[in-house]
Amino acid sequence: MSEVSARTGRRWRVSRRGFLIGAGVAGSGLALGIFYGIPEARLAIARSLDNSAAPGRVEAPPDVWFEISPADRITLYLPKVEMGQGVHTALAQIAAEELEVEWGQLGVVQASTARGLRDRTGTASSNTVSSLFIPLREAAATLREMLRAEAARRWGLELHQAVAMDGVIFRSDRPSERLTYSQVVEGATDWEVPEDAPQLKPVREFRYIGRSMARLDLPDKLTGRAVYGFDVRVPGMVYGAVARPPRLNSRLKRAAVGRAAEQPGVVSVVAEEAFAGIVATSRKEAYDALEGLELEWEEGGGVDQADIIRLTTVQDGKGVVIQREGRPAAALRRGRIVEAEYRTPMAAHAHLEPQAAMVDVRPDKVVAQVATQSPDAMRDALAELLGRPKERVEVTATYLGGGFGRKLVVESALEAARLSAASGRPVHVGWNRTEEFRHGSFRPPTHHVLRASLGAGGAIQAMEHQLASGDVAFSLLPAVAAVVMGADFGAWRGATIPYQIPHRRARSQRVELPVSTTWWRGLGLLANTFAIESFMDELAVESGEEPLTFRLNHLGEDELSERIRRALIVAAEASGWGERPSEGRARGLACCIDVNTVVAQVAEVSLEPRGRVRVHRMTAAVDPGLVINPDGVRAQTQGAIVMGLSSTFLERVMIRDGRVEAGNFDRYPLFTMAETPEIDVHLTGTGSEPYGVGEPPIGPVAAAVANALFALTGERFRELPLVLEG
Amino acid sequence: MEISINGDTYLVDSDPSELLVWVLRDELGLTGTKYGCGIGLCGSCTVHVDGVATRACITPLVAVADKEVRTVEGLAETEGGLHPVQQAFLEFQVPQCSWCMSGQMMTAAAFLSRNPDPSDEEITEAMTRNYCRCGCYARIKVAIARAAQLTRELP
Ligand code: FES
Ligand code: FES
Repeated sequence: MSEVSARTGRRWRVSRRGFLIGAGVAGSGLALGIFYGIPEARLAIARSLDNSAAPGRVEAPPDVWFEISPADRITLYLPKVEMGQGVHTALAQIAAEELEVEWGQLGVVQASTARGLRDRTGTASSNTVSSLFIPLREAAATLREMLRAEAARRWGLELHQAVAMDGVIFRSDRPSERLTYSQVVEGATDWEVPEDAPQLKPVREFRYIGRSMARLDLPDKLTGRAVYGFDVRVPGMVYGAVARPPRLNSRLKRAAVGRAAEQPGVVSVVAEEAFAGIVATSRKEAYDALEGLELEWEEGGGVDQADIIRLTTVQDGKGVVIQREGRPAAALRRGRIVEAEYRTPMAAHAHLEPQAAMVDVRPDKVVAQVATQSPDAMRDALAELLGRPKERVEVTATYLGGGFGRKLVVESALEAARLSAASGRPVHVGWNRTEEFRHGSFRPPTHHVLRASLGAGGAIQAMEHQLASGDVAFSLLPAVAAVVMGADFGAWRGATIPYQIPHRRARSQRVELPVSTTWWRGLGLLANTFAIESFMDELAVESGEEPLTFRLNHLGEDELSERIRRALIVAAEASGWGERPSEGRARGLACCIDVNTVVAQVAEVSLEPRGRVRVHRMTAAVDPGLVINPDGVRAQTQGAIVMGLSSTFLERVMIRDGRVEAGNFDRYPLFTMAETPEIDVHLTGTGSEPYGVGEPPIGPVAAAVANALFALTGERFRELPLVLEG
Repeated sequence: MEISINGDTYLVDSDPSELLVWVLRDELGLTGTKYGCGIGLCGSCTVHVDGVATRACITPLVAVADKEVRTVEGLAETEGGLHPVQQAFLEFQVPQCSWCMSGQMMTAAAFLSRNPDPSDEEITEAMTRNYCRCGCYARIKVAIARAAQLTRELP
């Protein structure tokens, strides 16, 4: 048998043996699943998909699958997690489209790892919809074709005479004669998978894709029924708390139980090398009893903010070249040279649900419910920690109260596992806000050096972007990746120069910091776009050109340039770019390309008394290719802009004497409703393929604001957060 | 100690100093009330105590003795129904992750009961101490205006 990319949409060459199906199994009349992932999407049908099936019985359980119940309810099992980005709904739309069912028939269930979930990438990098768009449609279409074929066989008709619509197959010659999908399933014993790839609908025939279908998860969320990681409760569950180091890098040298075991409510005490924690009948008792432990910590280095900044500094000419066109080195020695430096600080993810997990380590298996963006990696990590085979560890992702990259790694699950192993009870560990701030992982700090050469007439002849960043993606990869790649590709998001400039170069340098940094919404995108798009504005001023025209002048004729041009023009026009803003206000423009999505934004700002900046309006044009759910794209854009503004004006994680200064929101405030501007979103996407939407719109925010402030004050702001003097 | 929540009386043996948010969530399983900061700043834990929006993370159990507590689970008047605020939040597809939303809705419902016809500025003033990390502020604002309208239209 051979595997065929389900992405290509061409003929499947998978042998029939690969497509065994379990039909008529209680609770799931017919099931059809697909594999997808890196490097190739695979298509297969799992056999025997009833809930009780031991993992071993399903030889190759699928990643995503459908089940049709006898009541004609169709369940779509997904490995991708719902953290507010609306992906469960978007994926349901994609499936319903090809399956030809009524919207109300389809439900989405988060699949546990024991059901064969193999989502290597986790829910991250805005790739959920784009990576599943074709595989999911092909699977849904295949299932529909199988149902049609079976109905046709039963009626003794040709396939084309059996028409699928709204969860029913009817006869084209006698439309009143019809079978619901479950009726087709019920009578069937033998299923065949069509050898030919099913025809996928053309864009113009879509009826769910492209419509603002209401989010499937909201009814439960608005009534308090939805279960998040912090909400998990199982019989016999107790609570865990873990001893935390006084400084970022002080390790536990020696731990003894001390008086901890005698404290009220304590179930068990763990005092091991490098790990100490309490299990108690309530959270408060667990945290209170930590005081009773006898712990000896290493001093740990007294890192300060100045050290972080010193370490995060571009070394001229060092690092990995990630873009090179023309002969930048030579070109940057000619013409009028302009240079500028930019900085962004460490920042906290500040998802409002602190990380949390319930883990039950039993003699024969391990069961975990975790607010994780990567259940698959979580399962592996738990198996390794506990020395159990992976098949005996079952992780189910809950809803996430925000993730933003931070919940790709959920330390609290590993902590709960250790405490559960020690106590023999299911243990819940939910970090408090101070643990999130003081013992977490942050968006890395960055430093950017930009250099350009302007030719006669103000055209950019050459441009270079040198970036130094703390780790983003490396934090989750084996150490060998850092050695092989030399610089962190996560930091590169948005780091290349998108304009058509004859000589271009971008370089990325890895900075090793004494503070843990990680994945963040858009990874390096906000920082890199802040630098590049602020610099473009500086160059426009240098060459005496209006910023929009200057950007348009540096776009090419290719398709991507065309999309950028359209987004820039739409955002500019909608913001009233051509007209003078009202007295005391100014506008700034910025754009970016990320995961193939194009975003342009215009910020309109004014100064208030006491040097406060007021953002009145953000106008965004977003081109994410084919739009699955317009309201969802708008929501993601609005949210990303608010998060971006929070970064632009407020957020900075400060380190003093080896500690994170802020321990809660009193020292690390977030953007509020009172500060939030009017946000106007325009979708300029076209085409037949969707790209990502969760992250790209955060890119241009800071640059658009900084450019507007320059237009207003004549002062250039090259560091985040933007702080006005005086 | 006896406490009244959503019209039901619960007998809890927690320490009277225990914070209401944990009694609700961990003792009683009413996990619709969320925890976000523990210091009264984010608003995720907002419940009603005798109709007043109150942050459960800084409210000891003893403070709600003899009072009527209402949580998001009991926000709707009828079983299975929706409060006008919930209805409006659904209509405008307000939540993203929704971790903050119980607190947003409880704050909004208490506010609207005092001010049934608020201006935009009054809504902002009432809501600006509730964080939403997902950035749903614009939708929260319009949904509250809509909820006010729905409430006024009630028979
Ligand atoms: S958890 Fe109570 S205000 Fe934040
Ligand atoms: S919806 Fe996520 S914090 Fe508000």
